Amino acid sequence: MTFVHQEVWHWQIATYLFLGGLGGATFAISAIIHLFEGCDRKMVSVAVMSSIAFLVIGTVFLLADMLQPLKAIYALTNPKSWIFWGVVFINFYFIAAITYVIPLLEAWPKLEPFIRKIPEPILGLLERFNNLAALGGSAAGFLVAIYTGLLISAAPAINFWNTPALPLLFVISGFSTGAAFLLLLSTFSDNEGAHKIASRLEQLDAVLIVTELIILGAYFNFAMFLPTGARASAEFLFHSPVFIAGFFVAGLIVPLAIETYSIFFRGHGNEGRKSALPILVASSLVLVGGYLLRIYVLKAGMFQFPW
Amino acid sequence: MARYGMVMDMRTCVGCQACMAACSTENQTPFWSEKFRTHVEDKEQGVFPDVRRVQLPRLCMHCENTPCLSACPTGATHMDKNGIVLVNYDRCIGCYACCIACPYDARYAYDGEDVDKERELYGKNVSHEMPHVDKCTFCVQRLAEKLEPACVATCPTHTRIFGDLDDSKSEVHKLARSGKAQPLNQGLGTSPKVFYIPS
Ligand code: SF4
Ligand code: SF4
Repeated sequence: MTFVHQEVWHWQIATYLFLGGLGGATFAISAIIHLFEGCDRKMVSVAVMSSIAFLVIGTVFLLADMLQPLKAIYALTNPKSWIFWGVVFINFYFIAAITYVIPLLEAWPKLEPFIRKIPEPILGLLERFNNLAALGGSAAGFLVAIYTGLLISAAPAINFWNTPALPLLFVISGFSTGAAFLLLLSTFSDNEGAHKIASRLEQLDAVLIVTELIILGAYFNFAMFLPTGARASAEFLFHSPVFIAGFFVAGLIVPLAIETYSIFFRGHGNEGRKSALPILVASSLVLVGGYLLRIYVLKAGMFQFPW
Repeated sequence: MARYGMVMDMRTCVGCQACMAACSTENQTPFWSEKFRTHVEDKEQGVFPDVRRVQLPRLCMHCENTPCLSACPTGATHMDKNGIVLVNYDRCIGCYACCIACPYDARYAYDGEDVDKERELYGKNVSHEMPHVDKCTFCVQRLAEKLEPACVATCPTHTRIFGDLDDSKSEVHKLARSGKAQPLNQGLGTSPKVFYIPS
């Protein structure tokens, strides 16, 4: 039995996985907040446009890592493959997100002339299906986020990846980075509503981080149980200072502490709006941590070969 | 229609690596980048003073339940009517999903640099015209001419035994059927068509 580090997927794919989770989750959270809470259209439109940009950039990284990116359309051939479903989810997501965001862009006076160029009946249709696009896009965003984990769990000889915990971890971490990104955005908004939403997002992010910690506990407990490639991977991570200090401490524990403090001790004051600095720090740390998680999970992937 | 398979007799392998050389020349694989379709693993077994060296030749196992094929989004990876797992170079986008899915390290990237080097070495007569993910084909081109795979034909110690697993008269059928030869990592459920007689 030998354990060999996988040398196939590197930081480019980690970037794709990170941006996929971030983009999918950013859309899902902002569309749902918009639907059920209502919040200012400017912030939602920026959030949705950024989420589209994340997925476009992520896809570029995936394509750049391929040997023959120009033939990528062939990826729609085998429905047994997760990449097939990734392409389906991402494209469905793009259609829904663009349908959803165009009417929202009317909130920006500078963009008005461009939107006016769209024929009235089409604009009417987009308006009419706005809620549907929000829901459809959120579902697709969720699927994109979970797909990033499913993709790499389809590796029978990489025990550390080949577990149901990984897609769960990636989807929760993806939503946590999505909430963190929206929190970041909210600090730039001077709208009163945005600050109410910021408090909700903070709570959401804290709950997601706690969930992530629970999944991580279960995941490592499983990995350490038998002397397999999964244990070798877990040990590799335990001995990686950047993973422990960068992801675990700075990317989870510190932001959780900041958010908890903010929720319980600063939430009831009369100051109206919270100071932006802790939010900025906590959400940036969550984002960096999310990226490090993907990079290190990929680095830690070890084949267990029978020779 | 056949169900081709191979048996490796680990009792006789001396680790001469003639199979790797034969495969490289037959299939124009990038030995210059140290990428091979077949490898010979040199293993130490036991604890001092009871130690010995064992050679384990390996290649694509042409799994019956084929994780690389399931992972391949483009259908480039497919199984032909004789149970041989092949890559259609034209369709392969080089996404490496198959390399991640393969539990036997049987695949590698025949990348752009390798294609250039191949052209330099073999001129117009190249078998790999574009970058793709590459793997053992049981030398389909030789089978079509009723020849054995290059590694089998070359092996001086009869370590590699090739044949139709469905043909009850074949040596591979008998060895696999009797349980004398066993596949690697059976627990994964991939049902490999390459079997090993332990040393
Ligand atoms: S050994 Fe690997 S490449 Fe060969 S058929 Fe099995 S999974 Fe596919
Ligand atoms: S690299 Fe080629 S053969 Fe492998 S999964 Fe991708 S398209 Fe299929």
